Amino acid sequence: MLFLYNQPNILFSRDKSMKILIKQATVVNAGSKFNKKIVDILIDSGVIAKVSESTLNDVADKVIEAEGLHLSIGWADITANFADPGFEYKEDMASGAAAAQAGGYTAVGVQPATQPALHSKSEIEYVVAKSANKAVEVWPIGSLFVANEGKDLAELYDMKLAGAVAFSDAKRPIADAGALSRALQYSGGINTPIMVLPYDKTVAPGGMVNEGEVATRLGLKGIPALAEELMVARNIKLAEYNNAPLHFTAISTKGSVKLIKEAKAAGLKITAGVNFYNLFQTDDALTGFDSNFKVTPPLRTQADVDALVEGLKECTIEIINADHSPENIEHKDVEFDFAAYGMIGLEVAFAALNTHVAPKIGLEKLVNILTENPRKLFGKAIPEFIEGAKANLTLFNPAEKFTFAKANIRSKSKNSPYIGTEFTGRVVGTVRG
Amino acid sequence: MSALSVQHLLGIKDLTVADIELILSTAKNFKGIINQPIKRVPSLRDVTIANLFFENSTRTRLSFELAEKRLSADVVNFAASSSSVSKGETLIDTVNNILAMKVDMVVMRHPKPGAGVFLAKHIKAKIVNAGDGAHEHPTQALLDAYSMLEVHGSLKGLKVAIVGDILHSRVALSNIFLLNKMGAEVVVCGPPTLMPKFITSLGVRVEYDLMKALEWCDVANMLRIQLERQDIKYFPSLREYTMLYGLNKERLDSLSKKITIMHPGPINRGIEITSDVADSDQSIILDQVENGVAVRMAVLYLLAGQKNISEA
Repeated sequence: MLFLYNQPNILFSRDKSMKILIKQATVVNAGSKFNKKIVDILIDSGVIAKVSESTLNDVADKVIEAEGLHLSIGWADITANFADPGFEYKEDMASGAAAAQAGGYTAVGVQPATQPALHSKSEIEYVVAKSANKAVEVWPIGSLFVANEGKDLAELYDMKLAGAVAFSDAKRPIADAGALSRALQYSGGINTPIMVLPYDKTVAPGGMVNEGEVATRLGLKGIPALAEELMVARNIKLAEYNNAPLHFTAISTKGSVKLIKEAKAAGLKITAGVNFYNLFQTDDALTGFDSNFKVTPPLRTQADVDALVEGLKECTIEIINADHSPENIEHKDVEFDFAAYGMIGLEVAFAALNTHVAPKIGLEKLVNILTENPRKLFGKAIPEFIEGAKANLTLFNPAEKFTFAKANIRSKSKNSPYIGTEFTGRVVGTVRG
Repeated sequence: MSALSVQHLLGIKDLTVADIELILSTAKNFKGIINQPIKRVPSLRDVTIANLFFENSTRTRLSFELAEKRLSADVVNFAASSSSVSKGETLIDTVNNILAMKVDMVVMRHPKPGAGVFLAKHIKAKIVNAGDGAHEHPTQALLDAYSMLEVHGSLKGLKVAIVGDILHSRVALSNIFLLNKMGAEVVVCGPPTLMPKFITSLGVRVEYDLMKALEWCDVANMLRIQLERQDIKYFPSLREYTMLYGLNKERLDSLSKKITIMHPGPINRGIEITSDVADSDQSIILDQVENGVAVRMAVLYLLAGQKNISEA
C-alpha cells in the first residue's frame, strides 16, 4: 500500500489506513464516465472510496488541491533500465523506482540489460524480490537469448513462471534470422510477448548518429534509415511465417512506420513503440556534439518525426517509451565517440511529450497511450477508475510550466540533455493502493 | 576589423567570411616575415602553447611548432604514445594537468570528431583544432585557401575538385566549408563507397569520373588515401583505386588547360598522384607546406590577441 505525492513536499506513506482527498481534479480517462469531468475523490486505505462531481467534505489525512490538477489511471513504461543487478552505480531498483514515480509512472517494465542479464529464473526472482514494496510496480522483462547474445534461447517458460512478462535482448538487435524465427515459434507455446529493437549493424559500420546532412557536417559516421528498415522488414516476415506476435521496441524512421502500417493492414500481429525524444527532437540537436543526444535509435529528421507522430495518431505505433538509460558521468562526459548511448527519460518524458506531442495528438490520446497500451501489450489488467477499485492514479498539471532541474532528479544518473529546459506540464504525484 | 569573432579555432564552420579574410591577410604579413633573414617576432612572448597530439602527425605538428617558435611563444609538446593516455586517463584530466602548469593555448589533434568542441566546453585555454577525426582540419583549409589565392588571385568563382576518400577526410570537409563561404565552386570526386551519401547537402557536386572532374576544375586537391582510417574495405585494392582515381602525367597533360595540383601530404607517391605530377610545375604542394607556417602564425597570433596578451 503506497501513497505518493510529489509536490510541494514529498509524501511517501505506507500507512494502510491513510485517507487522501483529491479536490477538483479533471479526469482524463477515455473509458470512464467521469472523463473530462471535474471531480473530488476520496481514497481510503488505498481504495477509491468516493468519486463525486459535487464537493466532498470528508476529513482526510492529506488533501491534494491545486489549480489545473488533472488525474488519470497510472502510467506505465516498458523500456526502463534500472541497471540492477550489475551497474548499481548508474541506477538501482530503489532509485529507478523513485525516478519512475516522480515521472508519474505507477508501473515499469525493466529491460534485461543487466550484469548478469535477466536470463534465468534466478535473475527474474531477484528483480521481483528487490522491487517489492517499491513506489512502482516492476515488471521484469527476461532476456530472449542467453546473455542477450541472440544465439541460444533462454529458459523462457521458467522465467515466465518466476514473473517475466515479456522477452527481449534489450537493445541488442538479433542479427541471426534463424534464431529469432525459432524464438518466435517457441514463444507461441508460452504466449508471452517478444520485443526486439530493429537495427542491422552491418549496413552502418561505425555508425553513431542518423546518416544525413548533420552527420556529414560533423564528420560522424551515419546510421542510415535502411539499417532499421531492413530489420523491420525482415522481422515482419519472420513474424508472418511463424504466425507470431512481435513488438518492435522502438522505431525511428518514416519507412519503418510505413512497413508496420502495411503489416497491420495485412492482419499481422505487429506492434511498435517509439522513444519519446524521437517524437520531437531531430539530429540538428547534435551540432554541438552533446553526447546526451547520442541515443539508440538515433535522432532522425523532421520528416521522420512527423511520420512517427502521424503513426501514433493512426495507431500504427501503440507505445511511447521513456527509454530510461542511466549512464554515469564518466561514460558520458567524454569525446562523442567514446560516450555511452542513452539518456534518462522517466522523469522528463511526460513534460516533453505534453509540450511537444500533446498539441498534435491531443492530451487524451497521449494519456491513453501511457496508461492502457503498455498493459494491453503485456496482458496486464487496466486499473479502473471507479468507486471500490484499488487506487492506481497519476496526478498531473498539463498547464504548469516546469523547468527540469538537476537538483530534483531522483535517478542516480543525470545524463539528460533537458536539464535546464522549460516544459509545459508537470507531474504532481501518484497514488497506488 | 582586427579581431576574430571566435574564441577558439575549432572549425571553419564557425568562422565568418571576415574572419577568414583577416586570417589570410595576417598570414600574408607573416609570410613576408618568415622570408626575411630574422624570422622571429616577439608577438607571443610569455605565451605558453601546448601541442597535444593524440594521433600521429609529423608535418602538422612541426608546422605548428615552427609557427609558435617564430612568434616567440614557449612551446611544450605532448604525444599520446608517450603519455598517460595509455594509462586510461581521460582527455579532460590530461589537458587539465597540462593547463595546471600554466599553459595559455592548446593545439590539439585527436582521432575523434568533435574532440575540440568537447574540450572547449571544459577548459579555459584557447584551443586550435589541428584535426579531429573526420570532422575538421581548419588550418589545413586556410593554408589551402592561401595557396590557391597566391596562384589564382581570388577564390570567388574558382573551380576546385577534391579527389579521393571524402568519407574519412577532415581536409575535404574543412575545404568545402571554406570554399563555399568564399564563393568558390566545389566538386568532390572519388569511389562511391568513399562518398558520404548526403555530401551534396553541403553545397557541392559529386563527380565519379576523374577525368570529367579534372577537365572542369582550376584546382585539383588530391587527398591522401588513408587506409588506417578505414575500418572495412571500401574498394578492392590500391591498384584499382589508382587505375580509377590516380593522377598521372599522361592524364594531366591530356587536359585542355593547365590546372593547379595540390595535396595535403604526406603523399603516397604512385597512388593518388605519380611523382612526375607531384614534382611538376603545376604542383604547389611545397608552397602549401611553406604557407602552412604563415597561416598558423596568423591563427595563433589572432587568437592570442583577443586576450590582449601582446601586440606585435
